[in-house]
Amino acid sequence: MLAERPILTDVYEHVSEFSPEAASIYVFRRSNEERSEQVPPMLAAGSAVAIEVLQEERFSTLMQLGEEQFTVPLRSERSLAAFWARFAIGTPVYLDITGLSHHVWSAFLKSALAHQHDVMALYVEPADYRYSSVATDGEIFDLSLRTEGIDSLPGFATLAEESTDLVFIPLLGFEGARLAHLLEETEPAADRIIPIVGVPGFRIEYPFHTYAGNKRVLTATGAWRRARYAAANCPFSLYYLLEDISREFPLARLSIAPIGTKPHALGAVLFKVLQGSTNVELVYDFPIRKVGRTRGADRLFVYHVATLAGGAMRGQ
Amino acid sequence: MEVNSAATEAEAVSNLFGLYKAEWLHNQLFELFTEPSYFAELANDNTCVLLGGRGTGKTTVLRGMSYEGQFALNSGSTPPLKHVPYVGLYYRVDTRRVTAFRGPEIDEDSWTKCFGHYINLVFCSLIVEFLQWYGRTASNALELDVEALERVAASLNLETTTTLADLSRTIKKTKIQFEASINNVADAARPPLSLLGAPVEELVAAAATVPALAQKRFFFILDEYENFLPYQQRVVNTLIKHASAFVFKIGVRELGWRERGTLNPNERLTHPGDYARIDLREQLTGDTFRQFASKVCNGRLGKVRLIHSDVIERIEEALPGMSEEEEAVRLGVETENRQVLASISNAALQEFGERLTPARLYFTRYWSAAGHGSVEELLADWMRNESQWETRFGNYLHASLFAIRRGKRGIRKYYAGWEVFTNIADGNIRYLLELVHQSFRGHALAGRDVATPVDAELQTRAAQDVARKNLDDLEGLSVEGARLTRLLLGLGRFFNVLAATPEGHTPELNQFEVAEEDDDPELSRACQLLDLAVMHQALVRFRGTKPADNTDTKDYDYMIHPIFTPFFVISYRRKRKTIMTARELLLLTEQPKEAIRELLAKQNRIGDYDLPDQMNLFGGYFGVG
Repeated sequence: MLAERPILTDVYEHVSEFSPEAASIYVFRRSNEERSEQVPPMLAAGSAVAIEVLQEERFSTLMQLGEEQFTVPLRSERSLAAFWARFAIGTPVYLDITGLSHHVWSAFLKSALAHQHDVMALYVEPADYRYSSVATDGEIFDLSLRTEGIDSLPGFATLAEESTDLVFIPLLGFEGARLAHLLEETEPAADRIIPIVGVPGFRIEYPFHTYAGNKRVLTATGAWRRARYAAANCPFSLYYLLEDISREFPLARLSIAPIGTKPHALGAVLFKVLQGSTNVELVYDFPIRKVGRTRGADRLFVYHVATLAGGAMRGQ
Repeated sequence: MEVNSAATEAEAVSNLFGLYKAEWLHNQLFELFTEPSYFAELANDNTCVLLGGRGTGKTTVLRGMSYEGQFALNSGSTPPLKHVPYVGLYYRVDTRRVTAFRGPEIDEDSWTKCFGHYINLVFCSLIVEFLQWYGRTASNALELDVEALERVAASLNLETTTTLADLSRTIKKTKIQFEASINNVADAARPPLSLLGAPVEELVAAAATVPALAQKRFFFILDEYENFLPYQQRVVNTLIKHASAFVFKIGVRELGWRERGTLNPNERLTHPGDYARIDLREQLTGDTFRQFASKVCNGRLGKVRLIHSDVIERIEEALPGMSEEEEAVRLGVETENRQVLASISNAALQEFGERLTPARLYFTRYWSAAGHGSVEELLADWMRNESQWETRFGNYLHASLFAIRRGKRGIRKYYAGWEVFTNIADGNIRYLLELVHQSFRGHALAGRDVATPVDAELQTRAAQDVARKNLDDLEGLSVEGARLTRLLLGLGRFFNVLAATPEGHTPELNQFEVAEEDDDPELSRACQLLDLAVMHQALVRFRGTKPADNTDTKDYDYMIHPIFTPFFVISYRRKRKTIMTARELLLLTEQPKEAIRELLAKQNRIGDYDLPDQMNLFGGYFGVG
């Protein structure tokens, strides 16, 4: 059974142990977090082709390849395809999601998979998260200064949903206010909320922080009773869990909110892309990140997402 | 065994009141539906706009009006909907869908056309779903005239369809194609679009050829209208203005209807020409709300009593209140009264003091602390001017209650009784159900019998918990939730100190107006914040003393929503107001400690009184304790 559900991940205990494959493509962005700064210096020494995302807008992104700078609209399959067409099929592609925002890497990933590129997602864990100094639970002004509001990720808008039976699946992070806001906008029935907690967490105590941060909403709705678990750093575990849930609710519309870890968000995006169902949707709140929300860098993960996609395509 | 049975009963009561959001009720929504007094007005033949805050029951009423709701409310009798002259098609405006129709890739004119087409597809889907449901429910599959179906398909720019099932399939397929085009909007490859409203008119006309539906009016019930972007509201407003074959029933939050214009720049929706306006803040007040709330709560109690017969019969009995005099005693005035009496040397005055009720004797102490003389002097004055003192006692007793337990642990002011609960819910049925739920829950956790009333202390704790929960919720209600929370916390502490130190000051000062300084550069930011606070029910606003034709944000009087008053220990009654500047309001959200200190200084107060227990968690935030 396990063999049928492989965890297609390479783990490096420290960033310095990793080096990209020769002649590979490496897409990344330096955000305001230390961990996103870890890999780029290494690229200078290697033979990987570095493509830096210089600027992220809501619907487009400014990129740099060598001396060339260019803009890629995110709601344009044609432009995304043209970007990938620069590289031969079979060229290893690293999509470093550490410093990229969800709405950017998800659009590139969807397109890369559609054009059968050998894409791997790369992620560096933080050494630590910052916590609020104010003693109220669910502080929205802690990790995020504020959010831009609920919206679909570019290229992932769902307008053709069929089922009215909504199952809401929040991938929990520490920020309870974000969950509360999503619930307010999504309005699922209380017995149709299935929260997913990252267990094991990046650190042993993180699942407890997750519960503490989301306690109010989980208690008010009784959703804590229906919590499921997937390793916080494993998109594949999350993907398989979503498969299980979709089998339990075959006629329902699954509304997945990736407000937890990036690997979980990656699993959710993979699920949406590979399932191709109109009854799966991603709902996101576009947080504006606070400077210095995390500290340091810990392990590095390389997720072989194209391998999963290949398997999923063959299975369809 | 008895313990288990009591626990089960208590849990059943608590659970039934715990379902206080329409969406949480799931299958029980229609079972627990209570028709409000304005339902007949809402269900008439005209477009109506139902205006009310979150939790005022809009969704429950609108869903009750839907065809599924009316069918369920009439116990599934067939033929379906025979008892109502309308077909209600419910649609909740979903932020996730409508926000996809914006972005820099195309101009607003193009978005308007795309969105108009989307609205056509959605409304046609609603009608088709209804027709298919009707056929299934009446066991008599409906078919529409082939030519009529062809006209609908042509109007939507679809391939020709000749059956309802065909039309349903084609619309679904078209929606998928349309979704793909919006997801790749920068590629400029859009499918053919349709003219706003035209296919909907065609389809409604086609449906009217079914004999059973010929006399029925189609209602598009649009809930959470505030979720439409401004240009989208103009698109739907255009339909409201010009549609002839159907009307709209719109649920929207106060201040959520941002656009009254249509796509024609010279045209606006007007009341009552284009729509009837039902403002729940006007409908659900005082006794009207109390009666409606009573029907809702007693209906739920009745459901529990079907299974657990000894559950208390009426909600009014379950939540007893107390008079202000009783409250003064319960807050503990008697101990100090005794000490004061013991210290009076004049026997006649002492005897007079003993004859006064405990609340009255306390009041002389209160009045003395306000700098009007010694207790003995005041008692002597009371003896001479009884009627004047009775008036004063009546006017100031309520404000004086807040000072009895100032700075002490435990409850500092009671919030108990059905009338008090309906007042602090302020027309919001969801808040009221939360208060009742939390009271019963506390009652159950304390091991009390469900046949007995809930004690005032447990009711007060429940009211504090509900206030705290809604304070926490505020953060998640809006993208500006954090600022709203800070505004509320700041105002709450400010008015809390005023309430706790009333001696010698204006009593029950719990409202404010915005200073009229038109050249204030901060005014527009402050007004935006106030509008948001009203929309999300951190504050309530009402017409002040200014001319009634003024509609500016700054022309209203504001008050913390009464639901929060038990948390901040302030009066829920609308009484007296102060003036705040835009700068002060904004400062409350940016530098709360400094802002509170500054505002209190203007009122000749200091803010270092201990926080009430329930506010202690915010000690660091307020810089107290």
